[in-house]
Amino acid sequence: QNAPVKGKVTDAATGEALIGVSVSIKGTTTGAQTDVNGAFTLTAPLDATLVFTYIGYTTLSLPVNNQTQLTVKLQAEAKELQQVVVIGYGTQRKRDVTGSVASVNGNLLAKQPVQTATQALQGKVSGVQVLSSGRPNSSPILRIRGTGSVLAGANPLYVVDGVLTDDIRNINSNDILSLDVLKDASAAIYGVRGANGVVIITTKKGKSGPAVVSYDATVGFREVANQVKLADRAQYVDYLKDASPTKIASDDKAPLTIPGTTDWAKEVTRRAFTTNHNISVAGGGETNTYFISANYFDDQGVIKTNGFQRFTLRANNDINISKKLKFSEQLSLSRAAERTIDLNAIYGNVYRAAPIIPAIQDGKYGNTSAWSNVSNPLLQLDKANRFTLGNRVQGNVALDYKPISSLTLHSAFNADIKFNNQKNYQYQFLSDNNTFTVGGGNQNQNNSSLFVQNDDSYQYTWDNTITFDKSYGNHHITVLGGMVTEKFKSNFLNGTRQDVPANQDQWYLNLGNPDVNAKDDNGGGLFTRQSFVGRVNYGYANKYLISGSFRRDGSSKFNQHWGNFYTVGGGWVISEESFMKDNHIFDQLKLRASYGKLGNDNIDQALYIITATSNLPYYFNNGTLNLGSVIQDIKNTNLKWETTAQFDLGLDFAFLNNRLSGEVDYYNKKVSNALTKVGLPGILGDPDNTYITNAASYSNKGFEVGLKWNDKINDKLSYNVGANISYNKNNVIGLNGGQALFGGGINSRQVTKTDNGHPIGSYFVLQSTGVFQNAAEVAAAPTNSFEANKIGGLKYADIDNNGIIDANDRIYAGSYQPKYYGGFNFGVNYNSFDLSADFTGNWGNKIYNGKKNSRGTENDNIEASYADSRFTTAKPSNTDPNVITGSTPPSTYFIESGAYLRLNNLTLGYTLKSELLKRANISRLRFYLTSQNLFTLKRYSGSSPELFNDDVNTGITEAGIDNVNYPVTRTFAFGVNLQF
Amino acid sequence: CMLVVTATLSACKNYLDVAPQAKITEDQIASDPNQAKNLVIGIYNVFYIGGFEPDIDSFQFVIMTDIASDDADKGSSPDDYGDAKQIDNLQTSASNGVVNNVWTGYYQGVARANQALDKLQNAQFDATTKNALIGEARFLRAYFYFNLVRLYGGVPLLDKLPSASEANQDKYQTRATADDIYKFIVSDLDFAVTNLPDKGATDVGRATKSAAQALEAKVYLYMKNYQKAYDLSKAVMDGGKYSLVKDYSLIWRQKAVNGDGGNNNAESIFEIQAGINKSCTAGINLYTVSQGPRAGGKFGWADLGFGFNNPSESLLSEYEAGDVRKAATVITIQDHGTVLWDGFRIPSRDSVQNGFYSYKAYHSRTAEDNCGGSTDRLPKQVRILRYADILLINAEAAFQLGRIDEAKTNLNLVRTRAKLPAATASLQTIWHERRMELAEEHDRFFDIVRQDAVMPGRAAAAFAAHGKTWAAKYALFPIPQTQIDLSGGRLKQNPGY
Repeated sequence: QNAPVKGKVTDAATGEALIGVSVSIKGTTTGAQTDVNGAFTLTAPLDATLVFTYIGYTTLSLPVNNQTQLTVKLQAEAKELQQVVVIGYGTQRKRDVTGSVASVNGNLLAKQPVQTATQALQGKVSGVQVLSSGRPNSSPILRIRGTGSVLAGANPLYVVDGVLTDDIRNINSNDILSLDVLKDASAAIYGVRGANGVVIITTKKGKSGPAVVSYDATVGFREVANQVKLADRAQYVDYLKDASPTKIASDDKAPLTIPGTTDWAKEVTRRAFTTNHNISVAGGGETNTYFISANYFDDQGVIKTNGFQRFTLRANNDINISKKLKFSEQLSLSRAAERTIDLNAIYGNVYRAAPIIPAIQDGKYGNTSAWSNVSNPLLQLDKANRFTLGNRVQGNVALDYKPISSLTLHSAFNADIKFNNQKNYQYQFLSDNNTFTVGGGNQNQNNSSLFVQNDDSYQYTWDNTITFDKSYGNHHITVLGGMVTEKFKSNFLNGTRQDVPANQDQWYLNLGNPDVNAKDDNGGGLFTRQSFVGRVNYGYANKYLISGSFRRDGSSKFNQHWGNFYTVGGGWVISEESFMKDNHIFDQLKLRASYGKLGNDNIDQALYIITATSNLPYYFNNGTLNLGSVIQDIKNTNLKWETTAQFDLGLDFAFLNNRLSGEVDYYNKKVSNALTKVGLPGILGDPDNTYITNAASYSNKGFEVGLKWNDKINDKLSYNVGANISYNKNNVIGLNGGQALFGGGINSRQVTKTDNGHPIGSYFVLQSTGVFQNAAEVAAAPTNSFEANKIGGLKYADIDNNGIIDANDRIYAGSYQPKYYGGFNFGVNYNSFDLSADFTGNWGNKIYNGKKNSRGTENDNIEASYADSRFTTAKPSNTDPNVITGSTPPSTYFIESGAYLRLNNLTLGYTLKSELLKRANISRLRFYLTSQNLFTLKRYSGSSPELFNDDVNTGITEAGIDNVNYPVTRTFAFGVNLQF
Repeated sequence: CMLVVTATLSACKNYLDVAPQAKITEDQIASDPNQAKNLVIGIYNVFYIGGFEPDIDSFQFVIMTDIASDDADKGSSPDDYGDAKQIDNLQTSASNGVVNNVWTGYYQGVARANQALDKLQNAQFDATTKNALIGEARFLRAYFYFNLVRLYGGVPLLDKLPSASEANQDKYQTRATADDIYKFIVSDLDFAVTNLPDKGATDVGRATKSAAQALEAKVYLYMKNYQKAYDLSKAVMDGGKYSLVKDYSLIWRQKAVNGDGGNNNAESIFEIQAGINKSCTAGINLYTVSQGPRAGGKFGWADLGFGFNNPSESLLSEYEAGDVRKAATVITIQDHGTVLWDGFRIPSRDSVQNGFYSYKAYHSRTAEDNCGGSTDRLPKQVRILRYADILLINAEAAFQLGRIDEAKTNLNLVRTRAKLPAATASLQTIWHERRMELAEEHDRFFDIVRQDAVMPGRAAAAFAAHGKTWAAKYALFPIPQTQIDLSGGRLKQNPGY
């Protein structure tokens, strides 16, 4: 006999109504959901049993027992148990996961005053190394479990609400609900793009109920932290008198130099203003939820003229069209304006420009180049305007259809559309007395020039999946199957003209000289992918877990399109076994293991197709232009993706009433068929004598430990402590039969060598053994093929003992890849105050002080500390040579420890609690002070041990050469969180 | 495909076949005769490469031919460009970057020629047009191999373009003998002589029948086949299409003066063409600017170049009194300012790094065309073969064949133009004349090695006069160590390195 049963579901602890609890009649597919008041109605047999399931709560079975009005109280699950992680095309309870997945709450990321969420990830997750830069709008570099590629990019794949991308700088951190990192082979669900790990970002949605309005803002400033002090006038002149006596004798009183000392680093930098305003409204009714936000982010660079502003809008809506059909959309718009600088040129020159030349005086620039020194960096900044405007639309629309409660059909159309336009203008100036205090030298721009480029691109992915999820007694099974179609298309159009007027309103191509040095270029890219995905998760009694996923990927980037990728995993929740359950030691103890195969296809499209270069000019008949073409790039027509095999063994645990929890992992990752540039014999006529082929393999092995301690002493005081540490060993294990890759370019000399048996990007340099103290030592030393041996010069070890110091005497001297990296953090809440501190650091790595080595001539300025410590006849040194110039070869002298510990973030907050606020309908008001990079403990003598090189060609093999870094910054900001 | 949710693999096959964007593929070129024609123009374009990268007739070729010889010193500041310094000082090592860049540059040329020849095979042209195009490609390939064999001796002989996988075969990775290379050059030039149209019947600047004859005459001179050298140079002379420019100094100007000299002048047999295109890419990279006068840190003027390839004391002292060629060949820096032919004034001696620069490489910034002030690719047209060279080749061949009077006549045609009195013909006088006539024209190093083979001891004497010690091994440059390594050791090094 059926009867209508009514009821209300509340939280057992707080008594709050629970919305959206699913209520089903056991053994049938009949069910209902609770409304905004927690109420439900359904028709059920009076002897039926109702099952109440709700995410984050323990499932409850309740016999109806002839009642028609039920009061149901659901128990919240312990926090650790209810945590849900996103695993790609679906979610899973953390307790059921068999892979290594880290999940970070969006609030933790939003609290740091940084542009991009991954920067706030620094030191937070074991196995994830983050390198960030002080440069506005830079994209943090992530290395998940070591460096696994040299040519195809070593950054992870990002998935933002289903959009696959390599750039998340458009995402407002305040919009992020959670960030999940797939570190092990479970990333195989992303197949040919999973090899470097996957970072999945899920943005916020509204909850049914009244609108919640939040306003979060910070205002603050950034300043240069740890700028290396360069020699001042007195030190420089002393140095020159010794290093280049003729120079200073003849030119010291020349009109170029003006009394006083120039601190070039100070001249080109400033204290920069930074602000971030964010407002959001979230809420929902019975059939829909919404989350809408707007954000303005302004980050003035600490280098003059540099800066970045971003405006973003987001609208995420869920609409239940019927009980079975849901429509949802997540849409973000971002508009970013950036003025960039030529960092290499500017900051390279800051280190070398002579301090006796003024930067600018009475509107005229000091003429460093006439001092046969570098260009005046301030002039370089002032005479260039490089501006980019970027617009990006990113998001998806999706339909979810649930014909029965255990089955979900999901179809989502994801798109990422970008429009950028760029304008670079170089002002005209001559090396004359109008520009400089004294004319001469070769710093000039005889003609103004304008470069304009418009880019647009779109990428869409269409996901279609079917998910079956059901429990039968102790068995729980989830099956996913689906298909993904993807297309990427891009187009650029640019032009260059000279002699465009200096008036900004006239920076258009048609005002430049159409006939001289005029260039136009147009090109594009296109690639497609087609994929089939599948996954099975099976659990028995929450104790035994098995999972497997599979992806068959077709990529247009390779002649042989298709590849198969998979993972298998298993878990044993030991704490659920009766013998463990009874002794109450562990709240959770889980052993898990996974193995799988992943890929990396992150290279340019059509690299396997032989193409011609057209429109090569040649003249006949005294001035008739003819256009020729050539086919000259040698290609590997059988190019394929990189393959990574990864094994992971992990243990998750929680004890002491969940106060202490953590995880330990061991992994072994091997990349084979890695893409690499291989040298070609010159006889083939390839222009750069290299081609790209699959000819390398690398290995990364390591351990990770992460621990968390949470405790609440009383109502007023609670605290938490967390720590994580990772150990990684990177090794090149098979590089094309011994054809090593060299990198570097300090004074046109190689500094790193990537070869079998050593980490990627290892230093390969001469071994310096001290400084020549006297003529007898010089006479006895082996011949130096780089520069003449002299008193005060560096001594090098003759490794091959042939009496000549040359390239054959180089040795391996470490790499930038840290042996250990990690972080720790703590937080305290006391009454209305909250205090948190995050530390990050690494050790066991080396840095090549390229800045110190990058000296052209004796006229270049030097570091102040080196000015004091260098060898002089009056004050001999056995460590520092008397002079470093362009002919000083790379050696261990320039290699220093990369170990550091940094207070990454310190935040002190105060939350107002008053009746007044309540009357004003303000539910939360918090003020805080925060500082990013308050201090760094380091041994490195350069500015920062955190090196940031995101250049696609050099970023991986030359990561440890400190030569192109933006100054590291320290941020102070005042913030407010307001909610009503 | 995307509309079909349940698409099968086969249905999506075409979806993944994506052509490269904004690029012409090899297959398209193979099927289009006009494209094959463009490939021949593409071979000529290789002359523009150079600078500090792979090089054919630019800065690094100058280093290996002039700076390496007794005609010139390296120049610039003493320590500038260590690789050039090695070559200047006869200390070239196998790891020298210049030696490698010239090797790879010339093989780029060979590869472009082979690529064009491959596609021309199936191109649909009438036989004359097709053979003329093939003739151009083979002429250029012969020129490239001629320089390769003179620089390195026997080199790998590639008569077609192997794919990356085929390239590993021994026949490509080992050196052919110098004799084989010379035979190959001769067969290419024989074809070119037969099939190329002559001057006037084709575009100015393209390879001609006479150019092929002239080059082949020179090749035979190096092979010591004086009869062939004589016959072919005579054929060029008898053809009557060339004559000496009246004023020697006008040979290297861009514009003729009163109808005399300038680009593609009466004397020019084969010349690298250049021009002004909008993107300023139609000139030899760094050819002129690398040899231009250098301020070298002494401020006061915007200088003209990097200051390399300075005429040597040895060269300067060999000019006879009254030889007009000295002033046309050498920019001599004066104490109180040097005024060049176009009126450009180089400031006083202490504003300039070196005392002497090559005038033949000079390109006026004011009186001749340039591309919006950019100096990297000034449209300087390098004269590769000119009539005076042919007269002297003929003189030398005639002398060796005992036709002393003919030798004397040709020799004195060149001397008369130089405003010098007539001289008698001997190997010494002809060789002296070659040095004076062709100084700074990238011929001297080859010539001295060739003469040394004819008359042993000449090289040692010349270098002794230049203050350097000659050894037999220097007759050839080392095979670049990089290339030996890439061949897996199959390329064998020249003796002595």
